[in-house]
Amino acid sequence: MLAVKELIVFYENAIAVNDLSLEVKQGQIVGVIGSNSAGKTTLMNTISGLILDMRLKERRKGGQRITVMGQVFFEGADISQTPAYERARAGIVLCRERHPIFPDSSVVENLKIAGYLRTRAQVRQGLEQAFALFPNLARWRRRKAGFLSGGEQQMLAIGMALMVGPKLLLLDEPLLGLSPAMQTQLVEAIKEVSSRTGVTLVIAEQFARPLLPWLDFAYVIENGMLTLTGPGPELMTNPEIKSAYFGV
Amino acid sequence: MARRRERVDRGIKVRSEDVYALTSWREMLYLAAPRVLPVVALFVLGMTASVYWERVLVSTCMFAMLAISWDVLNSAGMVSLGQALFFGMGAYIAGTLNHYLGLGPWLTLPLATLGGGLVCTLVLLPVLRLRGIYFAMVTLILPLMIERVIEATKIFGGTEGLSGLTPLGSEHVQFLVALVAVWVALYGFRRMMGTDYGLLLKGIKDNDRAVMSAGINIYWYKAQALFLASAVGAFAGAFMTHAYQFVGMPVFALDYSIMPIASVAVGGMGTLAGPMLGSFILVPLSELLRGLGGLRTVIYAVILVACTVGLPEGVFHYLARKYTQFERWAEVDK
Repeated sequence: MLAVKELIVFYENAIAVNDLSLEVKQGQIVGVIGSNSAGKTTLMNTISGLILDMRLKERRKGGQRITVMGQVFFEGADISQTPAYERARAGIVLCRERHPIFPDSSVVENLKIAGYLRTRAQVRQGLEQAFALFPNLARWRRRKAGFLSGGEQQMLAIGMALMVGPKLLLLDEPLLGLSPAMQTQLVEAIKEVSSRTGVTLVIAEQFARPLLPWLDFAYVIENGMLTLTGPGPELMTNPEIKSAYFGV
Repeated sequence: MARRRERVDRGIKVRSEDVYALTSWREMLYLAAPRVLPVVALFVLGMTASVYWERVLVSTCMFAMLAISWDVLNSAGMVSLGQALFFGMGAYIAGTLNHYLGLGPWLTLPLATLGGGLVCTLVLLPVLRLRGIYFAMVTLILPLMIERVIEATKIFGGTEGLSGLTPLGSEHVQFLVALVAVWVALYGFRRMMGTDYGLLLKGIKDNDRAVMSAGINIYWYKAQALFLASAVGAFAGAFMTHAYQFVGMPVFALDYSIMPIASVAVGGMGTLAGPMLGSFILVPLSELLRGLGGLRTVIYAVILVACTVGLPEGVFHYLARKYTQFERWAEVDK
């Protein structure tokens, strides 16, 4: 469904993603595991097309020059030069890190804003789905989103991403800043999203422990380069992963 | 083989600026030229120019000071739309002191600088807690309000203004005073922004809550920055009062608020030198276009738009980058 081929991304002279190739099949949950500054976010931005926007902005203000090489294929078509909004229409939806939401709007308003591309009936359906997936959101539906807890904001952000009707959902660090209890709760929710909607998921994350057992396939990256690949449960037993990510 | 453009610092820049080991005349020149050359060039230009262009340069210097004061305020997180307030306050203080008390320019200039800074700071003190657009709106309204107050109450000459004030001396003296003032403002503030004090001001702009949580009273520091910036603006106003030998309502006009911002947009903000360069492009340009009559404003606006669209980072940032860095094609190896 998604294929990234020989992707290289430079921020000025610093290399963020180095010759990275990965493949995601329909219906899978795929993880991109890496520590800070491994290039996870850059990879997500490149797949979603945000990097093209960043590149343009930086060029306009004469800032850092961003160089992107390699190809991104989605359902067989090369989308390397497709702008982010068209990729979103085609079904690639990114939920950015640090749960970005509209803090001054209520939960329902946030979800409706995210459903901008959808018809009225689809929005109603999406709202029901989001509230079914995340019962906490239903409780606070009229509350300002800025007053939600971190975990609830993350759920809202994922709910917003689902409103767009994605075929491929990219989650950038969904577990960031959440307590272990909240993390397991969110992983359960993510599993439910996958089984209920059949959406393909790519999750970039550094807290591998709660996530790894459920990954159909995982890519471990370090300094922008692939170091390990394999099905999640298999990687769980890998001694290198154990020492690097579980501290065992 | 894939290639990409690569930006690299010039060797001489790294040697002379970062490593700071000056070993040759060339390296010293590399450091000194962009700092000394404009000073010399401007001096020679002004002394050899005709009287008309010397006067243009004088008013350019004053606009440059307003632009610098805008940039200082902006560096401390205060977006001002009312440089005219500072300018007008200085102008009226100098004008009234000269007209009613008969003080000479060499006394009114410093008094108006300090007094103008103090009055502007006190006037804006209550709104210092406002941020962004709210602060900007208040500063935009205040000079326009004062203008109407003068018109309504007929104080300080009302709509007629005060004329026949003491001149500053010959053209050359005026020019030299203006020149010294603008260079002192530029290099003084640049030095200030490089110190810990300047760092603190920049911190207030970047994230005022973080600065507050470091136990620093940001309003006290904002007031200080406001005083410094408005004093510079007030000096420009006081100087122009004596240069024109007249002070009246136009000193609070919108021009004195808009022109500095346009200069910053053209020159590039955050460097103080950028706004000054911007004024030295825009003010003489507007004089050059004076012969064109009605179309002047149109052409001026087109140039302004072209500048901001074509070089949004600002002329100064662009030049500085070309001076310190070069570009080359680099092969991407995997």
